[in-house]
Amino acid sequence: MLSVQGVSAGYGRLEILHKVALDVAPGEIVGIIGPNGAGKSTLLKTIFGYLPPFEGTVTFENQTLQGRSPDQVMRRGIGYVAQAGGIFADMSVHENLVLGGYSLKSARAVNAAIEKIYAQFPRFRDRSRQRAGSLSGGEQRALAVARTLVISPRLIILDEPSAALSPRLIEEIYGTLADLNRSGIALLIVEQNVRRILDSAHRVVVLDMGRNAFAGSSDELRRSDRIRRLYLGEDAG
Amino acid sequence: MFEEILEFLILGLVLGGIYAMFAVGLTLIFGVLDIVNVAHGEFLAIGGYALYIAMVVLGLPAAVGLVVAPVAVFVLGLAVYPLLFAPLQKRLGRRAPGPLFLVLTLGLSALLQNSLLAIAGGEFLSVPPAVKGGLDLSFTYISGQRLLILAVAGASLGLLFLFLRFHRQGMAIRAVAQNPAAAQSVGIPLGRIFTLTIALACGLAGLAGALIAPLFSVYPAVGFTLTIKAFAITILGGMGNLLGALVASLIIATLEALSVIVIPSEWQNAIAFGTMILVLLVRPQGLFGKKP
Repeated sequence: MLSVQGVSAGYGRLEILHKVALDVAPGEIVGIIGPNGAGKSTLLKTIFGYLPPFEGTVTFENQTLQGRSPDQVMRRGIGYVAQAGGIFADMSVHENLVLGGYSLKSARAVNAAIEKIYAQFPRFRDRSRQRAGSLSGGEQRALAVARTLVISPRLIILDEPSAALSPRLIEEIYGTLADLNRSGIALLIVEQNVRRILDSAHRVVVLDMGRNAFAGSSDELRRSDRIRRLYLGEDAG
Repeated sequence: MFEEILEFLILGLVLGGIYAMFAVGLTLIFGVLDIVNVAHGEFLAIGGYALYIAMVVLGLPAAVGLVVAPVAVFVLGLAVYPLLFAPLQKRLGRRAPGPLFLVLTLGLSALLQNSLLAIAGGEFLSVPPAVKGGLDLSFTYISGQRLLILAVAGASLGLLFLFLRFHRQGMAIRAVAQNPAAAQSVGIPLGRIFTLTIALACGLAGLAGALIAPLFSVYPAVGFTLTIKAFAITILGGMGNLLGALVASLIIATLEALSVIVIPSEWQNAIAFGTMILVLLVRPQGLFGKKP
């Protein structure tokens, strides 16, 4: 459903990604891993339209995405969860969810979607009037995920959903992501926590210095000595 | 003495209403676009001219003029982002340096003032008050125009706050002010929100210009002093804080009005800037601003 072909991108004139390729099939969880500075977040930002690619193509369900702004990309059915601070901190939990439905024209559709989200995340119903910025880090992340659900996305892009969370909260957020995936939503996840993403992802793409270094199933990656040494530490095995 | 104070308090409240309509708009633009709009006063002046054309040239009723003026300035405001700011942003990237926009709006201010001078001439045009008569309190008399200013300022600012609080586009404006990247990720088109924000602020300034036209006359530079004063107000209220701008407008206007009792009126303008300097030294984030 998502296809990235030969994409080079970066900031200003600085090229960070060099002819990167990537695919996500419907219902699939694809992880992107790699060392710091490998261009993982840059790739997500390029797919979602925050950065225009220098070259290459990005298509979603056979429609071209490159050259489109993030608000146009999301209207195609893609949700985006930023690494941190992706919520509207000074607004209430409910207002955050209402804004998640900004692209829907009917207020009734937005309210119905929010009702479904409250059923799925009852703690947000209890805290609907609470300032979103006063939620814990894990809850803010969950709210950012929940906010993407208002438009019923077919793909959600997540930038390090486990960053700065305790192991318990990491399991919680990955539990939520597994539920979403079971409901048919494809996920594209950049993750530093390699072991965690290998447990969840169907396939993994390794980026190194802005280039594709490996692409395969989580099991294939676990079996590759070189990749294991580089990305899972020497003791892997 | 008490009645004198009360009289000046009422004058301060009327003046505060005008300051607030102006400073809240300026603050809104700063909060959402991170741009200090030096040309804001000229939109106020255009509002005055629009009322003049409607009432004096075309002979339309005041009520029509008071609707036409802000709408005309709103429509003019719609052009500012796509024609001026967006091209500069596009050429320089989203993080175009702030001083460039400051100079750009300064240029716009000069251009608009000179255009008004060329088209309408430099004389002070007088506009009849929209409301005749007034309210005779035992200790003072408040003209109908001043009462109208109070009512319209209160109503328009109240509507603006309700719009920002509850309307879908108003919420989008707040979302962009807080977190532009997240706003884009939920489908909010930044350009459209920037355009709407500037137009709303300009419309509010245009309405303020139409309201004060009968009191201060209409001339090209009528808004410029107010722009400078509004900077002091926004700093006192906290840059980008709308409620802060509203409260600071009332504080500065009341101080100015009351100061007449104790200090010569030539010093009146020094009140705002004296307060601004004091605030910058003691509490740079302003009354309602967050600590940097």
